Amino acid sequence: MTKVESSYTPNILLLSTIDCAYPGADWAGQMHMDHYVQAFNLRVPSPAMFPEEFYFYCFEQGFDGILIMSCGAECPYPGAYDRLAKRVDHLYKMMKERNLETDRLRLTAICTVCAQAYVKEIEDMAGNLKTLPPIKKALGDIPQGVN
Amino acid sequence: MTKEKKRVGVYICHCGGNISDVVDVEAVRAYIEKLDGVAVARKNMFMCSSDGQKMIEQDLKDGLIDSVVVASCTPKLHQGTFRGALSRAGQNIYLLEQSNIREQVSWTHTHDHAAATNKAKQLVAAAAAKAEMLEPLEPIKVKTVPCGIVIGGGIAGLRAVRDLSKWGMNVVLVEKSPFLGGRTAQLDHVFPTKEKARDLLDKLIKEVIADPKVTIYLNSQVIDGGGSLGDFFVKIEQTFRGCTEKYDLKELEDAIKDLPKDIKNEFDYGLSYRKSIWMPYEGCWPSIPAVDWENFQPEDADKVNGSGFEFQPNKEIIEVRGGSIILATGFDPYQPAQGEYGYGTIPEVITLPQLVRLMADDGPSNGRLEINEHPVRSVAFIHCVGSRQVEGINNPQPDGKVNNYCSRACCTATLQAANELKERYPDLHVFDLYQDIRTYGHGHEEYYQQASKNQILFLRYDPLNPATVRPSNGRETAVSITVKDLLTQGEEMELGVDLVVLSVGMMPRNIEQIIDIFKLPQGADRFLQEVHPKLRPVELAVEGIMLAGTCQGPMDITEATAAASAAAAKSMNILSQEYVYLNPYIARVDEDLCTGTGLCIEECSEVNAIRLENGKAVINKTICNGCGMCVAVCPNDAINIQGWTIPQYKNMVSKMLIPAQELA
Ligand SMILES: Cc1cc2nc3c(=O)[nH]c(=O)nc-3n(C[C@H](O)[C@H](O)[C@H](O)COP(=O)(O)OP(=O)(O)OC[C@H]3O[C@@H](n4cnc5c(N)ncnc54)[C@H](O)[C@@H]3O)c2cc1C
Repeated sequence: MTKVESSYTPNILLLSTIDCAYPGADWAGQMHMDHYVQAFNLRVPSPAMFPEEFYFYCFEQGFDGILIMSCGAECPYPGAYDRLAKRVDHLYKMMKERNLETDRLRLTAICTVCAQAYVKEIEDMAGNLKTLPPIKKALGDIPQGVN
Repeated sequence: MTKEKKRVGVYICHCGGNISDVVDVEAVRAYIEKLDGVAVARKNMFMCSSDGQKMIEQDLKDGLIDSVVVASCTPKLHQGTFRGALSRAGQNIYLLEQSNIREQVSWTHTHDHAAATNKAKQLVAAAAAKAEMLEPLEPIKVKTVPCGIVIGGGIAGLRAVRDLSKWGMNVVLVEKSPFLGGRTAQLDHVFPTKEKARDLLDKLIKEVIADPKVTIYLNSQVIDGGGSLGDFFVKIEQTFRGCTEKYDLKELEDAIKDLPKDIKNEFDYGLSYRKSIWMPYEGCWPSIPAVDWENFQPEDADKVNGSGFEFQPNKEIIEVRGGSIILATGFDPYQPAQGEYGYGTIPEVITLPQLVRLMADDGPSNGRLEINEHPVRSVAFIHCVGSRQVEGINNPQPDGKVNNYCSRACCTATLQAANELKERYPDLHVFDLYQDIRTYGHGHEEYYQQASKNQILFLRYDPLNPATVRPSNGRETAVSITVKDLLTQGEEMELGVDLVVLSVGMMPRNIEQIIDIFKLPQGADRFLQEVHPKLRPVELAVEGIMLAGTCQGPMDITEATAAASAAAAKSMNILSQEYVYLNPYIARVDEDLCTGTGLCIEECSEVNAIRLENGKAVINKTICNGCGMCVAVCPNDAINIQGWTIPQYKNMVSKMLIPAQELA
């Protein structure tokens, strides 16, 4: 299937860690870095708390993509990042089984001053999502061909 | 179990115009007011003002609302302010949710007001969705360990120690080197008061060591640590200094006269050599020699004729506990790259810290200005070496970034040195190559004026086209400098001088291990980053850990000690209380749902905060760090992090994506 860039505005959920990515997002604000609008931050202690089912719930609610903005190697919670990475691998498998494109989910690390990386991740995901159908269509909630 | 939903009050801030210049605040308010669960929605020019806070207090007192959403700046700035409003109204402070519509909306979507307004509506709606599910929580009570821990015994660390001990507090000081004083001990006269740096230090050190409340660990490294506000622990590895008796420099020289003098002396920034047993200067504290174990050879032991020496590099592990930690680990001067302005390739190119040592009476040339044993008749200073660097022009550091910050103390330090040279040697020709002169502090500008009076010749260079320095090859002077001087319309100047002094900037010392242990935030400039320079100065995001001096950024002594006193005062605030209260964001088990699968216990193997009792999971509240790994694996949804529950998140997500027609 060839991918066509569509005109819809994808919604992106950002799971941003209180210790790293959320301050990184604030830093992007302090530097007045204009960027893609339809990306929404949820402030989270650690994204390792979310079970697989939570991600599918978010897709069902209409989020076309989810960016997990973790602390990466800087994670203040012992063991959390490794477990999160494993969960994301598992999620990819589950998404494939459900015929959902894995581009809709991405695990990344954003530090407290990584404003540029923060903005780039959002722009990249927005760009990728535009080549995919809206999530509702992908989940079969609305028939193909209707936006 | 169904829980009663809260009636939510939503308060939207204009932040002067910071928010309302982009977001249509009234449209957001009108939209939010109509949502289920929202009892009132109001707006204010500054929600953090006393007017704004009173609005919240009044609605709570009037019984109109149970929980609060403030839509304003990032939560880290005013969470305490708004919790205060809830507390004054007699409400539980955890019934507050904040929506960040400044940093994450109006400041990032400046050019699309309609889209920014819609996003604000969506984010505030999500915050209200969480607020209706908030529950009152009780903070975790920790008994404070009445002791301050200060890491780093330079002038900032010493100031912090002294302030704490003067107020009657026990203090532990951990210093990596075998001597106290840090970089200040390497200075001679200091601006702006012209006092002898060592006089300042001696006075402070005398007070510190005389106070029985202070325990000092020298030659000591932090190797582990943990705990939280009110009760931290720090594990120290202390290496035996190799000697237990006091010496003066002459006595020491006699005792070690047979040792080779072949180690570059770091105290003189490599301009002189020392032996493997050493003291940096006469009157240092302690005046007990230290063995440099890295360079001490086994055969050296037989060459020493003194008492009190024991050549065993024994290490001892000591664990200390304290209610707060002050970091005062200081700075390193910027080390120019090999060949940068001729450094490392032309012997007549040195750095400002080296010049300061050269000019000191006890320096490598006993205060005489000579380089390679040649007297100096002309000097050129080059400012901003390793500071205010420009990408593409200057070499990056190993992390790929250039030092684009100003090192603040170097302009005045350079002018002070230039003036002193001119006053000592009136016939000396002194050139000063600068980008901008930033003599910003009280009493600093006088050094600039004095430099003009002293006929120091200023040339202004363009940072995009810096000076080049090369050997003079056979000319009368050792070094040639070419520079385009902006003060003479960019005319190219060629200077021949005997000595070039690079005014190097400051960089943070390498404290990777401590950063790693306590998960400390660093800024883009690699210095430790305070939460907010105006609202929470000298505080780190890790509660209970404070910053003193140049580990936070370039400062002179006046600023470093002011920051140290501020850090000590904030520490005292914690240490003087019998208990401190921590956020209750830890795991909680719903006993009705828990079937005792034990999966959460496996998941918590690194922290070990969960055990099974009578077939139910039980959380150890003082150990749980609230990471939530247990939440994800419970098949019965029986565990949640208080204040950050999955049902709350789901409610937020379900209310975030409001269809466009509803938003309009
Ligand atoms: C050339 C030059 C000239 C200057 N002239 C002046 C002047 O005239 N007037 C003025 O006001 N300022 C001057 N300054 C600035 C002044 O040197 C600093 O403001 C001051 O030294 C900062 O003190 P500090 O305690 O923050 O850091 P430091 O002096 O660097 O002390 C830090 C201490 O922490 C210790 N440490 C580091 N890491 C660890 C660790 N992991 N564990 C335990 N301990 C650790 C170090 O050994 C050291 O003892 C000058 C600076 C330079 C470079």
